[in-house]
Amino acid sequence: MSTAGRDEPPADGGWAAELEELRFRLEQAQALGGPEAVAKHHQQGRLTIRERLRGLADPDSFAEVGTLTGQGRYEGEKLTGVTPAPYVMGLAKIDGRPIAVGGEDFTVRGGTSWSGDRKKGGQGGFVEDLARAYRIPLVNLIDGAGGSVTSIQRRGHSVFPGVHGFEQSVALLGEVPVVCAVMGTAAGGPAGRAILSHWSVMVKDTAQVFAAGPPVVERSLGQKITKEELGGARLAVDVAGTIDNVAESEAQCFEMIRRYLSYMPANVWELPPLTDSGDAPQRREEELARIVPKDRRKPYNMRCLIELIVDRGSMFEIQPTFGKSLITCLARMDGKVVGIVANNPMVYAGALDVKGARKQTHFVELCDCFHIPLIFLVDVPGFMVGKDAEAAATLREGMRSVYVGLQATVPMYTVVIRKCYGMAGMGATDKNGLDFKIAWPSAEWGSLPIEGGVAAAFRREIEKAADPKARERELEAQLRAQASPLRTAEAFGVEEIIDPRATRPYLCRFIDAAQGRLRTTVGPKPRYGVRP
Amino acid sequence: MATYEARSEVTGSVWNVVCEVGQRLEPGDTVMVIESMKMEIPVIAEDGGVVKEILVAKGTAVTEGQPVAVLEAK
Repeated sequence: MSTAGRDEPPADGGWAAELEELRFRLEQAQALGGPEAVAKHHQQGRLTIRERLRGLADPDSFAEVGTLTGQGRYEGEKLTGVTPAPYVMGLAKIDGRPIAVGGEDFTVRGGTSWSGDRKKGGQGGFVEDLARAYRIPLVNLIDGAGGSVTSIQRRGHSVFPGVHGFEQSVALLGEVPVVCAVMGTAAGGPAGRAILSHWSVMVKDTAQVFAAGPPVVERSLGQKITKEELGGARLAVDVAGTIDNVAESEAQCFEMIRRYLSYMPANVWELPPLTDSGDAPQRREEELARIVPKDRRKPYNMRCLIELIVDRGSMFEIQPTFGKSLITCLARMDGKVVGIVANNPMVYAGALDVKGARKQTHFVELCDCFHIPLIFLVDVPGFMVGKDAEAAATLREGMRSVYVGLQATVPMYTVVIRKCYGMAGMGATDKNGLDFKIAWPSAEWGSLPIEGGVAAAFRREIEKAADPKARERELEAQLRAQASPLRTAEAFGVEEIIDPRATRPYLCRFIDAAQGRLRTTVGPKPRYGVRP
Repeated sequence: MATYEARSEVTGSVWNVVCEVGQRLEPGDTVMVIESMKMEIPVIAEDGGVVKEILVAKGTAVTEGQPVAVLEAK
């Protein structure tokens, strides 16, 4: 029935055409670079960005932002199709906690940069603004080759470096956890973006990362090299430490990202989540009483030692294949997140070399930033020695890690397992805080080890002796007896000597007691001064 | 059958070779011991297997990453 003089709105409210166009545009976005490009991408053993987002996030948790961005194709006024912008991003959840997440779509122009009115992500862009505004972690799934000279043609001019800069990316590093995963070949800007993270991971065989790829290298230096040799995980992770960890597959990569974020607070104004570990804090492992060999020349497995102390199954190692004389891992003690820095006696007796020092510097800063208490399991004979070590500037990198340790304000616990010598030993203490040093009876320390130290300090006396070798051994034995850690404990030069089996219960008590301190000192940690 | 090289993780000198050609090692067994930084650092047969070749003798100087033995794993 109609009323005279008034148009009755149709049953659909009159918006059918617009809703149909919206549906069509959303469908176009789902198609990415089209079936051929997607098939080619799959043939290379790689997932599309949409599959990656599904693989990473909690089921049905992805709320996309900027779905319609792209390049529309029109016949007259009629839309015939849209090539989506080569970046997909939005809000998602991991273990029920919100994250900002995005990644390049390699099936559209190889994931090269796109110029709309507002950038979506990659370097800055909405996804980074979202992470910062909402104070939630940012996950970048990087699969882009960066800028292309073809953009000069497109724009009619060349763009100054930094026009889409890293200002927001840098600011995020002081406020929310940032994870970068290299999922394909990343060169230039995307490669640089990967480094501006708290933790980075790349996929074995299908991902590479470098400042510039093989064609540029050949043109510049005449070096013929494959992209895998130039920036595969074997070089970028194991040799250079450019990227922290390697994943065997994309699926494992997502698992690792989820795991890493489980140790992190949403931002620096919060503490990491508490979990019920189901592992008694009082647990004492008999194995700890015999793990350190009596023979000082014999090493032992520090990873096993860590696993015996922390909550069962809670150890997540950062940079396990780089700087192997040092082990850094996130773990839990009675459900509370801790960071562990442990020297590895299996590699150079645990001496701190340039790679180990770089690893320690980053890890200490990471834990300090997110209010994660640090446990140092110390067995360090000192900085690495020798011409190679000096040429690599071990002293500078080592002192940088000492400097960063002295700036950190998070509670630290020093547990001396065996050797604690020199500046590297000092770098494993909380000199600016409680300076709480705990030791096992197997501990020994000083400004330098007795062997070698005796030969240098008593050179004349040893030379004059009838049997110089015997005299040297005699002096060593005398000093070693006086160097018992129990004697230092008499002087309160070390705060406690514990039965190795009591390590877990003892540390759990103090970490629990420090929670109030942690709760009342959250927030960003601005740093002053110039790192050496 | 895949052959692989056991490598020294450290620069040092061969302190002791503790396996023989033809011997079967379990994953994690020691191939040889390198003396470095006044400590005896084992070279581990990560995947175990049969020792096909020993590349360095007792007393030889080795560098970080140098292959010291060839093994054939299952």
